[in-house]
Amino acid sequence: MKKNLTRIILTLVFIFLSIYFIYPTYKDYQFNKELSKLTGQDSITFLEQNAAELKELQQDRIKLGLDLKGGMYVVLDVDVVKLLDDLAKNKDQVLTDVLNQLRASTDASDASVIEQLKSMLAARGQTLKSYYGETRDTEADIEAKLEAEINGAIDRAVEVVRNRVDQYGVAEPQIQKVGGNRIIVELPGVSNPEDVRNLLSGTALLEFKLVAEPENAVRVMQLINNILAGTTDTTLTNDSLKTSDSTSVAKDTTKSSDKNLAVKKDTTGKNKKDTIKKTDTNIASNDTSLLTDTGLAGDTTQQLSEEEFKKKNPWFYLVRLNPDGGTADGFVTENDRPAVERILQRPDVLAVLPSDVTFAWSKEAFDAGDGTKFYILYALKGEAELTGKVISNAQSNIDPTSNTPVVNMQMNDEGAADWARITGANVNKRIAIVLDNVVYSAPVVRGKITGGNSQIEGMANVQEAKLLEIVLKAGALPAPLKIIEERSIGPSLGEDSIKAGITSSIAALIIVALFMMVWYRTGGFIADIALVINVLFILGIMASFKATLTLPGIAGLILTLGMAVDTNVLIYERIREELGIGKPLKTAIEIGFKKAFSAILDSHVTSIITGVILYQFGTGPIQGFALTLLFGIVANLFTAIVITHIMIDILVEKGVKVKFG
Amino acid sequence: MRIFENTNYDFLGKRRKFYFLSLGIIILGIISFIIRPIPLGIDFLGGTEVQVRFASNVEVGEIRSIMEGAGFTGMEIKTMDSDRDILLRTPLQAEGTKISDDISTALRNGISGNTFEVLRTDKVGPKIGEELRRNALYAIIFSLIGILVYLSFRFQFIYAMGAVAALFHDVLITIAAIAISNMIFPGLNLEFNQTMLAAFLTLIGFSVNDTVVIFDRIRENVRLYKNEEIESVMNKSVNATLSRTVITGGTVFLTLIVIFIFGGEVLRSFAFTFAVGVLTGTYSSIFVASAVVVDWKSKIEKREKAAKLNKKFQTAKVK
Repeated sequence: MKKNLTRIILTLVFIFLSIYFIYPTYKDYQFNKELSKLTGQDSITFLEQNAAELKELQQDRIKLGLDLKGGMYVVLDVDVVKLLDDLAKNKDQVLTDVLNQLRASTDASDASVIEQLKSMLAARGQTLKSYYGETRDTEADIEAKLEAEINGAIDRAVEVVRNRVDQYGVAEPQIQKVGGNRIIVELPGVSNPEDVRNLLSGTALLEFKLVAEPENAVRVMQLINNILAGTTDTTLTNDSLKTSDSTSVAKDTTKSSDKNLAVKKDTTGKNKKDTIKKTDTNIASNDTSLLTDTGLAGDTTQQLSEEEFKKKNPWFYLVRLNPDGGTADGFVTENDRPAVERILQRPDVLAVLPSDVTFAWSKEAFDAGDGTKFYILYALKGEAELTGKVISNAQSNIDPTSNTPVVNMQMNDEGAADWARITGANVNKRIAIVLDNVVYSAPVVRGKITGGNSQIEGMANVQEAKLLEIVLKAGALPAPLKIIEERSIGPSLGEDSIKAGITSSIAALIIVALFMMVWYRTGGFIADIALVINVLFILGIMASFKATLTLPGIAGLILTLGMAVDTNVLIYERIREELGIGKPLKTAIEIGFKKAFSAILDSHVTSIITGVILYQFGTGPIQGFALTLLFGIVANLFTAIVITHIMIDILVEKGVKVKFG
Repeated sequence: MRIFENTNYDFLGKRRKFYFLSLGIIILGIISFIIRPIPLGIDFLGGTEVQVRFASNVEVGEIRSIMEGAGFTGMEIKTMDSDRDILLRTPLQAEGTKISDDISTALRNGISGNTFEVLRTDKVGPKIGEELRRNALYAIIFSLIGILVYLSFRFQFIYAMGAVAALFHDVLITIAAIAISNMIFPGLNLEFNQTMLAAFLTLIGFSVNDTVVIFDRIRENVRLYKNEEIESVMNKSVNATLSRTVITGGTVFLTLIVIFIFGGEVLRSFAFTFAVGVLTGTYSSIFVASAVVVDWKSKIEKREKAAKLNKKFQTAKVK
């Protein structure tokens, strides 16, 4: 017993850990069961009530692959040839021919595109420099530059795709950059290929939009509020503005990054920066105390409880304004966002929305300091001032004087002229940088910008600056994407296959378990318990690695269970042999385990070798198979060698008559 | 309950007969394969595939004429599990979902009084198929190398070669079995896709596993019976592990039969391939892996004897 103590403790720890990791999966399953009983409004309320917990569970549970759940799987390739076409300067017939030839050859081979282009051009007596170089560039410079452009294109494409998928509102999308220029997008539960195709393959639209005047924005919000509250009174007075000003703020939370748009290398800019009133964004939180003297309904004196406030001002309850900011940016918690989105899609709301105001969300939610995440709902002017096509380059940098991250943006001549006019007319106002209807930044214009060189300041960190650079470039040079693989699995097929697969697997397992008990008696019974623990371990490991269970994954599971049975058979046959030559039970068990060990080790190691290689070279489904196989082998080694042994030892020690058939 | 206890079959004595048996099956498979090659799935071939489920049964012939009317010639059309589930496949691909949309539009316009839902669409570009083929090949080659190296290290190079020979044998036999059953039961729709690839890789794993167990016993017995002929030591080892071989092979085979029958269309090709693999993997551990080692060892021994004799002869001559 003593020599087994460490092993027993280890076993219990592993079992406990497995249960701990599997628990969210179980809980999530319970939630879904409850949810399926509810319908219509009830299910929405249920979802909203448990939003935070559900989100957490979704992250921690074992995910089901698309083949089990239904959904779409799309592989996108960045069209490098199209990109090269867009980048070329002095296009002529030779280049067109070469690019056509290149297109045909890149579809077939994986050799470096630039190398291929170079040799094709050389064959026609041309060099890269003729189309892609500046006067002083060497060929190597140009190659490096093109390489960087191609790499940049994939980053832009990933950002654009992520942005769109996020807006589309798919639960748990997976967007992965694979290899050199490939993006894999998995959209569970999506069944309309047409939508997805439009979503993914259209060209990205980058726009500069003025942020709507606060008066105007608040007026529109008031209208929406009235509709929601059922108030028929649509006459608007200055009250609405005033009231929003009088909303007191209880918690002074973190500033959202304050961005300024300045003329690059403008020496006076430094001084100007200080003179501009910072648009600190303070957020009203849900505390009732801060709502007490809000008079949004025109009633400034009466004290309102939270419930009353919610009833009278459903919009402003969800979308909080900051009275001291001088802006009409609405702050919406992560959990409230879906509700606000639904409101904005209501036909009666859409009907009153004037054409000169549109709403757009901020890209990132920011933490208010207490763990609550807020998205900013911007009210923007309907018409775009300028599109991203005029941007010729964007570069994130560290400003040497202030040592803060900045993004420098250059525009072409045509854009620069417009930009000067726009910035000149809107000094101290904000211009939002909007990609596919998501606001990435809304810097304040500090002065008229002539010459087309602008600097955007106020990024919180280098990553944020880098992201803005990617976004600006996405407008300048869209990364052309093409769909090269597309699979959609209807949920009905998914259900069919998961049901058939799981039922048959369980049936097979039960048969095997029964057989083991008949054949090996006590030993078989112990082996069956070990099998159950084995399944528990495998699922536990999968949950802790946040792995996805696919159909081939289930096949891998079955194979491992087969191996688990084999391991026990090996051991028991050895024990029987030893018993057969007259050894006492205890000795036979010891020798049996010892002698079976080398075969068990060798067979498991070879399986690990194949598993690792499969994982390395396999794609999607095969990787899923390899992963469960590997997890299974590891779990199996432990259960067969440690757990089975302990159980048998304990039974023997307790004087139970252990039989091996 | 127990079976095959203290058996003493002369497995390896009959190895030459079994060489011919294996060879025969493989040749039969090659012939079937030539007459009717195993179709490559869309994963490897590229193209567009649409699976639809009709409200009531339909005739494949009717659908074929509709598709041909819509300009899809040479399309592969077959029923899946029932006469309501139809799989349509064409090597054509176009930008986006154009082809699959065209197919469903043509179906919708062509069939009256029967509605359908699209269960699944797959589109695979030629580059992906090419890549998959290459990766699959790499996976198999590297697995073989990995196994060869590990077994050489744990046993001897000759044993490792025996195990790898058995693997080749198993893969060939399984391909033959698929080709033959496609000839006899065309309704099985066995095709070479990612799932079947996974099954092949699994059967490689199983086959090695089985071989390793027998080799493990040989390794042990070679030390025990130092003075016996290798053939008799091997026979002893195969007989000693026979009970385990039958039980393990049997339970896995049983599991796969259940999955083959009830597991649904997706797991079917996996179950079939692996079930064949279990049979041949078990067989090959004895009649290929061990047999190759016996033949090779005796050849080496003969050569060594001959060399010794030769040496004696030469030294005698010089003297």
